[in-house]
Amino acid sequence: MAQAPRSTSLGSALRYRGREGMWTWILHRFTGLGILFFLVVHVVDTALVIYWPDLYDQALVLYRHPLFRFGELAIVFSVLFHALNGLRIITQDFWPYAMQRQRQMAWGVAGIVVVAMLPITWMMIAPLFGLAEEPGAERHRARMEAAEFGTNGAPVNPETEVEL
Amino acid sequence: MVTERGPARRGGGYDRPGGRSGNFEVNSWFFMRISGLLLIFLALYHVIWWNLVIGVEHLSAELVIERWHNPFFRLFNVALLTFSLLHGLNGARYSIEDYVRSPGRQMTVKTIVYTIVLGAWAVGLFALFTFDPATLANR
Repeated sequence: MAQAPRSTSLGSALRYRGREGMWTWILHRFTGLGILFFLVVHVVDTALVIYWPDLYDQALVLYRHPLFRFGELAIVFSVLFHALNGLRIITQDFWPYAMQRQRQMAWGVAGIVVVAMLPITWMMIAPLFGLAEEPGAERHRARMEAAEFGTNGAPVNPETEVEL
Repeated sequence: MVTERGPARRGGGYDRPGGRSGNFEVNSWFFMRISGLLLIFLALYHVIWWNLVIGVEHLSAELVIERWHNPFFRLFNVALLTFSLLHGLNGARYSIEDYVRSPGRQMTVKTIVYTIVLGAWAVGLFALFTFDPATLANR
């Protein structure tokens, strides 16, 4: 008779003193499930673009609410952490020396994520308070100008290819 | 399937549990690593491009349609969509098997989650493959 597996509730996970390995494991799982949840919504609303472009633009109005910006920041953080921690796991799986240094590797991942998130947080959040321009503002202006005057001064043509 | 040990072996250890046939778990282990490596490039590029280079504030249906005119980016999106959803689905399977212990309830939860995720995959693939630049150019 197989032995019943031990319970792995959130409470017991937090009490378990597995240090870096345990904490990155929990964060890896949370960020992964969070990304998956967002992904399902994101895929379906982006698919709208093909058949109901106007509906897509309406969905975007909702997404422009400042609260969503913090959600987007959370997604950027999740993808970045999940990517780097995943790379750490793969490295440790195939390179025994890295496994012996797994604790330092975990701190390395944390360090890179924090250093990368500082400017990213500024870029995404500062515009909400008028402290900086929206990311991509310059590119957007150039694009609008090109659409208004047409490329090469030609009359505006919907088929005109505009460099993204 | 609830992860259980197989029958005890004489002299110690346990046999492979019955139920799931073949090397499914080993294959899914490899799949997580290979798709994960690919996603580091695909997903990070996608997230940085739309959030920091274009900026969500400037997003519009027109911009997306314009990008989809390029077959390379439609192919890029097929790869990103497929690997991210299957990687995520297998991750969700790990979590469900960890936390939902009763076989009956586990089956219910899996059916719901698999349906939602595979449904989103189908919707995404449908949009990417039926996209017709000609009919949308003059919207």
